[in-house]
Amino acid sequence: MKILHCPINGPRPIQEFSFGGAVRPMPDPQQVDDEAWADYVFNRDGEQGIQREWWYHIASNTWFIAERNITSDQFIRTYLWNGEEAS
Amino acid sequence: MPFRLLKFGLEKEYSEPRMFRSPAELRDSYDVVIIGGGAHGLAAAHYLAAEHGIHDVAVLEQRYIGHGGTGRNTAIIRSNYLTEEGARFYQFSVDLYRDLARSLDFNLFYSERGHFTLAHTPASLRTQRWRAEVNKHLGIDSEVVGPEFIKKKIPEIDLNCGGHQPPIVGALFHPPGAIARHDAVAWAYARGADQGGAEIHQRTTVSDIEVVDGRVAGVHTDRGFIKTRKVISAVAGWTTSIQRMVGLRTPLVVHPLQAMVTEPFKPWLDAIVVSASLHTYVSQSSRGELVTGASLDPYELISMRSTLDFAEGLAGHMLDLFPFLGDVKVLRQWAGLCDMTPDFSPIMGTTPIEGFYIDAGWGTWGFKASPVCGYTMAHTVATGEDHPLIRAFNVSRFGAFDLVGEKGAASVGH
Amino acid sequence: MKQRLAAQPGEWIDRTQELEFRFEGETYKGYAGDVIASALWANGVQMTGRSFKYHRPRGIYSLAGHDANAMFSDGTHTHLRGDSLPLVAGMDLRAVNTFGGLKGDKLNWVELFSRFMPVGFYYKVFHRPAWLFPFHEKQIRKIAGLGEINPALPSTTSPKDYAWCDVLVVGGGAAGLEAALAAGRTGARVLLIEQQARLGGSLAWQHGRDEEAQRAYGTLVEAVLALEAVEVRCATMVGGHYADHWVALFDADRMSKVRAGAVVYAPGAIEQPAVFGHNDLPGVMLGSAAQRLVRLYATKPCERMVLLAANSQAYGVALDMLEAGVEVAAIADLRPDGEPSVLGEEVAAAGVPIHCGHAVYEAVAKGDKSGLRGAVVAPLRDDGEIESSRGQLIACDGIAVSVGWMPNAALLSQAGVKFAYEQTLQQLAPVSKPDGIFVAGRARGTYDLDAQRIDGRDQGAAAAYYTGREDKQISPRVESCKTAHSHPYPIFAHSGKKNFVDFDEDLHLTDFVNAHQEGYDSVELLKRYSTVGMGPSQGKLANMNAMRILAKLNGDTIDETGSTTSRPFYQPVPLGHLAGRRFHPMRQTPMHAWHAAHDAEFYHAGDWYRPEYYRRANTHRDECIFQEAQQVRTGLGVIDVGTLGKLLINGPDAVELLERLYTGRFKKRAVGRYRYAVALDESGVVIEDGVIARLAEDRFYVTATSSGVGAFYREMLRWAAIWGLDVTLSNATGQLAALNLAGPHSREALTALTDIDLSPEAFPYLGVREGEVAGVRALVMRVGFVGELGYEVHVPAWQGAHVWQSIFAAGEPWGVRAFGVEAQRLLRLEKGHLIVGHDTDALTHPYEAGLAGAIGKNKPFFVGQRSLQIYRKRETKRVLVGVRWPDGFKGGLPEECHLIIKDGRMVGRITSIAPVSTLGYALGMAFVEPDMAEPGTRIEVRLDDGAMSVAEVAALPFYDRDDERQGL
Repeated sequence: MKILHCPINGPRPIQEFSFGGAVRPMPDPQQVDDEAWADYVFNRDGEQGIQREWWYHIASNTWFIAERNITSDQFIRTYLWNGEEAS
Repeated sequence: MPFRLLKFGLEKEYSEPRMFRSPAELRDSYDVVIIGGGAHGLAAAHYLAAEHGIHDVAVLEQRYIGHGGTGRNTAIIRSNYLTEEGARFYQFSVDLYRDLARSLDFNLFYSERGHFTLAHTPASLRTQRWRAEVNKHLGIDSEVVGPEFIKKKIPEIDLNCGGHQPPIVGALFHPPGAIARHDAVAWAYARGADQGGAEIHQRTTVSDIEVVDGRVAGVHTDRGFIKTRKVISAVAGWTTSIQRMVGLRTPLVVHPLQAMVTEPFKPWLDAIVVSASLHTYVSQSSRGELVTGASLDPYELISMRSTLDFAEGLAGHMLDLFPFLGDVKVLRQWAGLCDMTPDFSPIMGTTPIEGFYIDAGWGTWGFKASPVCGYTMAHTVATGEDHPLIRAFNVSRFGAFDLVGEKGAASVGH
Repeated sequence: MKQRLAAQPGEWIDRTQELEFRFEGETYKGYAGDVIASALWANGVQMTGRSFKYHRPRGIYSLAGHDANAMFSDGTHTHLRGDSLPLVAGMDLRAVNTFGGLKGDKLNWVELFSRFMPVGFYYKVFHRPAWLFPFHEKQIRKIAGLGEINPALPSTTSPKDYAWCDVLVVGGGAAGLEAALAAGRTGARVLLIEQQARLGGSLAWQHGRDEEAQRAYGTLVEAVLALEAVEVRCATMVGGHYADHWVALFDADRMSKVRAGAVVYAPGAIEQPAVFGHNDLPGVMLGSAAQRLVRLYATKPCERMVLLAANSQAYGVALDMLEAGVEVAAIADLRPDGEPSVLGEEVAAAGVPIHCGHAVYEAVAKGDKSGLRGAVVAPLRDDGEIESSRGQLIACDGIAVSVGWMPNAALLSQAGVKFAYEQTLQQLAPVSKPDGIFVAGRARGTYDLDAQRIDGRDQGAAAAYYTGREDKQISPRVESCKTAHSHPYPIFAHSGKKNFVDFDEDLHLTDFVNAHQEGYDSVELLKRYSTVGMGPSQGKLANMNAMRILAKLNGDTIDETGSTTSRPFYQPVPLGHLAGRRFHPMRQTPMHAWHAAHDAEFYHAGDWYRPEYYRRANTHRDECIFQEAQQVRTGLGVIDVGTLGKLLINGPDAVELLERLYTGRFKKRAVGRYRYAVALDESGVVIEDGVIARLAEDRFYVTATSSGVGAFYREMLRWAAIWGLDVTLSNATGQLAALNLAGPHSREALTALTDIDLSPEAFPYLGVREGEVAGVRALVMRVGFVGELGYEVHVPAWQGAHVWQSIFAAGEPWGVRAFGVEAQRLLRLEKGHLIVGHDTDALTHPYEAGLAGAIGKNKPFFVGQRSLQIYRKRETKRVLVGVRWPDGFKGGLPEECHLIIKDGRMVGRITSIAPVSTLGYALGMAFVEPDMAEPGTRIEVRLDDGAMSVAEVAALPFYDRDDERQGL
């Protein structure tokens, strides 16, 4: 299967990971109106091209960010949430 | 008796006409432009003419008709859904389907086989009962049946799944469940649309949609610009590209859904078998192949690539249900795109952009809805108002936190 | 074996092992090393099957694994491929898809009606009248399909395994052998895969007269086998190439999954048919098939052969045939100038009549159609069609076709290699490749043996370099061939329309013309409408010609025409191989053995085995459950709740995390106390519940649902990372056993076992204590889920069984009894406690479920809070309430999810029900519309048969309204 580079554990088969969806910064709930909040909760971009998303390495409980082209399925880079980039 | 066949045998030259014209020119305006030449888009074009007298229609298809989900699904048609809105909607589709071959004069191999949603746990059986009750309330033929009944109808099934899985404790049985030849639905609607005056333009890609003062003004394609005030987007897995063009936000995320088919065998399986717990479904086509699929790919991807994991997992579950199939060989595997919504109900009808109508959110449940989609979208475009059957599916429901929860009824996919 | 030849050098048969077998009721003999079809041929049996649609007699065509008309059944297994399966003694075979045997097939008249059945005819008929369609479909299903499935076949498990290599070489021909050597000599680990029984590829059958080639063959094989770095697997097929060079290998026993650093593809080329009249008859075959028969299986293809030629390979075939004692009656060479190489001269010198600019118009069958009696050879016109009026019949019993090749591209395409048509070569050739993929040999248009070898060496070295083993990068020296080895259009019209393009699907040339006429004029539509390439050989002998035909019809180039997407699998693979052992791990609690020994009826709760109830002699299930529940209410019961999710949340920001994740307030919760907690998702839907116990200022012990804890723990970790909170989170679900001791005597029973002060003042309801139970470090909580005085004891898993047994011993004086999940469900239902995921569904928010009390007021933030603001502004559509039936009610009771009906509308549903309760009446919970939520409201529930069961809404809890029992 496909290989994904976990920032902590290095290249692992993708079955060892769980997909966490696109990274979506939460707006301040008390500063947005209902429509903007609903947009945050439900709407997604999901367009062709590169997406920044959450991935989780199940065996080591590691959450990290991956930048991936969701059309070609190429991982560009992976890194911890506020850490450095791995390959 | 097929007297048509006599004609074939006796004529000197094959006289069958083109199913649909292939106009060389793309005109510079149409009343309605439909983006997406799958069964949904073509059905909409057909019903626009047939029901509403709207003939000036162009269907723009980026590749060839039926290239997307229409040609890739496992062709199961049923109406045993969980919500009142969903069940009514799909039942309307089933009613159209049952007469479709006659009305379009094309054999769709529409075959009522009986549909079983197997439950392996009490929780699953509860959900099946819920569906059965809603169905019965609406006059849809569904009932919860026990293991003995299942074994009687499908003698070859292993109710114990070889001890590998929780045993089958019951099922939702839906006698009208059917399969059909999916491509044929696209072809038949294409001919219907063409005969109704629509122009079908294959190998035509939409690059942008012109929106002026909040309403549709035209469509940019790689063959030129088309002026129009009405656009239907019926592109399923490609919707996220289209929605951006008009500035529409939706919850859609696209995942691949894979399927595979075996070599063809003499008939042995009549029923359509779905296991809600194993996330597996199988039917035997009229050609004799076993057509089978499993759950959605676990991560977002707008690509129709195949994986080995999918084939391995599905093969295992097939053998859990039918342990004697070990020697049966898989011919090929493929994938389609599923545009998923949070509530597993589609997104249909009018949008905040005037003149832009959306037919999307088809996830793993789109093929069975082809007729009702075409019908209701045509109505919506013709009248400017959502057809009653699809009002609940409007994109505005998310903003209103008014989801139509079908997660328990989509066979697989989660 | 009348067609056997004298021993051929390098033959694959072992004449010392004669094997007896049966085919269609007749007994024959073959040798070990034969494939079924070669053994049949050696016995003069040319007809191996009946075609799919027309039931025409068919035989082998490629003898290379692409012959769908040589498929057999042995009564147990079906779809056995005659042209690739080794002969085994005792085989008893029949052709598939015949009715009444191969020779006397009862459907052999179908082809008389072929003109009534043009391509796609079944879309035009059978649907009118509609009521007849089921009958038609039934007949179609009977006729379609090939073999019969055997439901009695026992289930076997095939062991899957893994392999790793630096360089995977696919194809053991000249190029592949050289590639393996080159890569292996750098020290790279090489895995060489060959589909045939032995290495060699075309070296084994195409270069028989070339002594130098035969020497090289021997040397190469020897060198490869001697090189330790190279592992060789023959009789193994590459089924599919997946992302990151993940490759699936299939052999007779198993599937192996390989991770390769780089892949060299040297799969060769597949010889292609010519399309002419009756080109499907037994006796018509590819030139390479004839050579394989001779060289590998020492079998004479026929006595007298006509060759259809368009390349130099054809002339090699002619010379091989002459050497084997076959009379070559004529060569019809499609090329007006014939064969330019020395081979042409050799063949002419041997006295073979060569007709340049000629074609075979049609093959002529002998009387019973089981073979040939002649070929009609005719000149080609300028427009490329055949001048059939000038045809002459040449007597022969075999026609060999050698007009062209197609690169064996299926796997290459899967791997991402792109092809374009090369005009000089008249063939597709790779134009771009992804990183790590290398192509060598005939697959990329290299036809000369020496060039293939050099190419193999270069590509193998390049692959080794790619994986980091070799310092210098090699630039491949070999270009693809500049002469054409394929005819651009070996396809000819035939008045009888028996000129087949796809032998699997029985499609002839006119079918394509007709389909095109009807508008199926793109390669995908053509494929789907005609079904070309959708049979068992997956288009390997049909797709190239189909592309040529479509290109011509459209006036397009081959590249403009395109081809359909190549998908796994290269050849059909068994489900059993894909499935492997089917490993389904289940989880057991540490007390599992005890439960089993005490007649527990287990059920699958997700991954876990849990006791549903404990069986008792002569007692029905429902009665067992009732007794267990009753015992808890009146005495003492114990339940294993080890599957419960258990999370340890520690650190300075632990309370902050909990405040944000759960709806309730925990900041002020005292140490030694717990609180019921509910968690929502961002849209405000209830996703989890449990208890949050404070063990210290910064230490919390949190429970969650068995099925949800994994996902919930993940989300906790993510939020903690996003918010940058200083917490440590551990999922201790599997590390801790847990049991629940419940009933009025639970304090008495537990006191003896523990050092914790259990007095109500020291350990009140909602308290949590740490101490020892049965000598084991434990965490104890006073819980009220079932509504009785009770203690939940959590201990390290490895000590769980001991503690359980100790508690049983201690509880004996009060008749302690184990109770299962069903009894627990009943008890909690009497207390009106909901179960998330059972009473709630995927859209339930707290206001619907009576959980408003769990929502903390004036909290700055929690997940889902903002969405709840939106729900509060709207009407609640449904609420969860208690429902009950009268005492002694004897009527029908609903099941869970039966609907509540009012005025013909669906207004709710039963979510939980207990037909028998310790209170003496049936009770449950249900969703109803808010205006029906008042206790005492009459409700009607529709049962399976449509009858209505009348109940009424009741206040919750049913049992112990003042919650005194659990507070004792």
